[in-house]
Amino acid sequence: MPNTPLLKKKGGFISRFKYGYHIVFAVLVIILAVCPFVMSTTAMIQFLGKCMCYAMVAIGLDLVWGYTGMLSLGHGLYFCLGGYAMAMYLKLKSNGGNITDFMQIAGINELPTFWKPFLSEPLTFILILAVPAVVAGVIGFFVFRSRIKGVYFSIITQALTWAAYSIFIANSGFTGGNNGITDFDAIVGKTRGPANKGNLITLFIITLVVLVVIYAVASFLVNRKFGKLLIAIRDGENRTFFSGYCVNRYKNVIYIISAIMAAIGGALFVNFNGSITPTQMTISFSVTMVIWVAVGGRGTILGAVLGTFLINLCEYNLSSGALVDVWQYILGAIFCLAILFFKGGIIGLFKEQIPALIRRITKSDKNKKEAGTDAA
Amino acid sequence: MGKKGFLKIFATVTASALLATCMLTGCGNSGGETSSGASTASNQTNSGESVKVGLLHSLTGSMAISEKAVSDAEKLAISEINESGGVLGKKIEYQEEDGASDPSTFATKAEKLIDQDGVTTVFGCWTSSSRKAVKPVFEDYNALLFYPVQYEGMESSSNIVYTGAAPNQQIVPAIDYLIEKGYKKFFLLGSDYVFPRTANEIIDAQVKNAGLEVVGTEYADMDQTDFSTIISKIEAAKPDVIVNTLNGTGNVSFFKQMAEKNYTSKEYMTMSFSIAEEEVKTIGADILKGHMMSWNYYQTTETDTNKKFVAAYKDMFGKDRVTSDPAEAAYDAVYLWKAAVEKANSFEVGDILKAIKSGEISFDAPEGKVTIDGDNQHLYKKVIIGEVKEDGLIYQVHATDEPVKPDPYLETYEWAVKAGVKPLE
Repeated sequence: MPNTPLLKKKGGFISRFKYGYHIVFAVLVIILAVCPFVMSTTAMIQFLGKCMCYAMVAIGLDLVWGYTGMLSLGHGLYFCLGGYAMAMYLKLKSNGGNITDFMQIAGINELPTFWKPFLSEPLTFILILAVPAVVAGVIGFFVFRSRIKGVYFSIITQALTWAAYSIFIANSGFTGGNNGITDFDAIVGKTRGPANKGNLITLFIITLVVLVVIYAVASFLVNRKFGKLLIAIRDGENRTFFSGYCVNRYKNVIYIISAIMAAIGGALFVNFNGSITPTQMTISFSVTMVIWVAVGGRGTILGAVLGTFLINLCEYNLSSGALVDVWQYILGAIFCLAILFFKGGIIGLFKEQIPALIRRITKSDKNKKEAGTDAA
Repeated sequence: MGKKGFLKIFATVTASALLATCMLTGCGNSGGETSSGASTASNQTNSGESVKVGLLHSLTGSMAISEKAVSDAEKLAISEINESGGVLGKKIEYQEEDGASDPSTFATKAEKLIDQDGVTTVFGCWTSSSRKAVKPVFEDYNALLFYPVQYEGMESSSNIVYTGAAPNQQIVPAIDYLIEKGYKKFFLLGSDYVFPRTANEIIDAQVKNAGLEVVGTEYADMDQTDFSTIISKIEAAKPDVIVNTLNGTGNVSFFKQMAEKNYTSKEYMTMSFSIAEEEVKTIGADILKGHMMSWNYYQTTETDTNKKFVAAYKDMFGKDRVTSDPAEAAYDAVYLWKAAVEKANSFEVGDILKAIKSGEISFDAPEGKVTIDGDNQHLYKKVIIGEVKEDGLIYQVHATDEPVKPDPYLETYEWAVKAGVKPLE
């Protein structure tokens, strides 16, 4: 059972502190805020920017999985909806509102109707939030109304993502197919190279602010009655239902919020990445997101953020040079260990397992028993 | 209880150690990057006894099988050059990055190579999506990418050298050959992505221009394994020849299912653009016997350089390995870069590009002499139509007399211009 700040039993050094998680997050934010100013190469800044976007998705996923107990294997869909919306706007901005090369190859001579709203900036921002909200709302309405849960929910989300992936590939005239949408500048202008470092820092700080806001919203939600209800749904859906709560509606609301967070992450990601492809909509990417949350520690907002940064930093640094052939084994080993021994992920490690270890080493038999019951 | 406790301690310690190692690797790297940042990228490449280049291919994921052959060929060329004294007296060092079959990762890694590792020249990519994802990175940093795979054309970036075939060096001559051989009804079959779609647009225009007929066009999903519907459509359309742009696993399923119906090259001749020696090995020579391919190089190509290349490749990577067109193009890429650097007498991208623009950079490649076109940075290449024989190798049945001038937008073909093949953008 994942640990949550609300249901914590006995404290390690973080949970003794009421605002421990927030302080750790604040430290992380400060480190990130300083990064672009002390780092002399832009590649790392770009990469950390992408990590922040991933962290937003992870927070959203943690809300539905860690808190509400619905394992979504299809958050790549919402990430891509946000990403494509932003990419369409940026592409039209960079080519002056003309039709794109992939439309020409498909024999389309006029800008398709559904591209037209993306000529306008405010409309794009609204659509980035609205499209995933509507899609998640409709999917959620039918799925939750039919009381589909557990592994069936996971399968449905995965299947829907797969379907969307196929649609995006098949309609290459409208979406760029496999190549996706490429060749455009970020919303703040060019971000690559030493000359454009100013733009990159602006984008980085904007993203950081958005991440803080999303973290704050998520923390706010889970610390209200709403959040307690989500945990109640996770731990005993029928009981919650028979207590008179409309479980479906709660599930649907959190699913929509989570989809919006993923879409915001996707929209910002496109600015750093300079392109969006359907690869981000594949099942493997959606599963990767789950791994970030699992390794970080589901059921804590901070865990989702930490897991995202840790896994991505490992990937970035390990998948090159001497380790290029073995990096996936190393990551695989981390995942296996996390799943087998650390159900609480990194957060659980620091909050429970390490303190337990210290107690075990320093104290008597009595404490040993306590740690033993913790593990059970 | 005691056993469980021990397990828990053990796991905690192992995991902490593992995580700490990873974090430290990260910190170590970013520390290194901060110190290297003081000197500019170009200084870093020029300093010392060696020059660093980047290799950026998928070493994991679905593209790993194909891209491994290409990155191996690049490593072979690098080690050969190092043995014969290097470039401008410097040994070549390479930094390898894994693109993990994901275009976004390719973009991240390209930036890492250029900005963090101070590399100015990268040999890499296979899929068009990965090339398109890294193109703006190379343009913004003014770095150089050597792209070694035949592709659909319609692109020409001054920061990319395309060492594979443009459409007019693979597709157009193949269709010309088929027309000349008297094939009248064409069926176009491809995977659903940009290369087959663009290729088929070109083929359609070319076939119609010759007054002949395209009797059907079908696209299969990238990972489709059931071709029974498509095969029955082919049966109904009764084409003389199937022009096949399927990629990857689709080819295996399609040809196996054709073979199950006892269709050989006698009933339905095919002309394929994505089947090289490596794929023939997977599908089986007995099935592919007699079918045609169009490339610029085969393992059987008879040049002296090729004999040496094939021997060296097998020697380095194993007797059962085969060389193929993309691997050969990747091998050429490294030598062409060497030639350009030597002509420029500099490792600076600006100087190398100036040397390339002169149009005088050439290499006596395994496929014959190749020259970089100064205008569009593609190669002059000979086109060879080949046929699969029982031994699983592809043998030449027809070849152009001279290397064909690259024309990625097909601007010199009247029928292509009329059909509006070139994008306006």
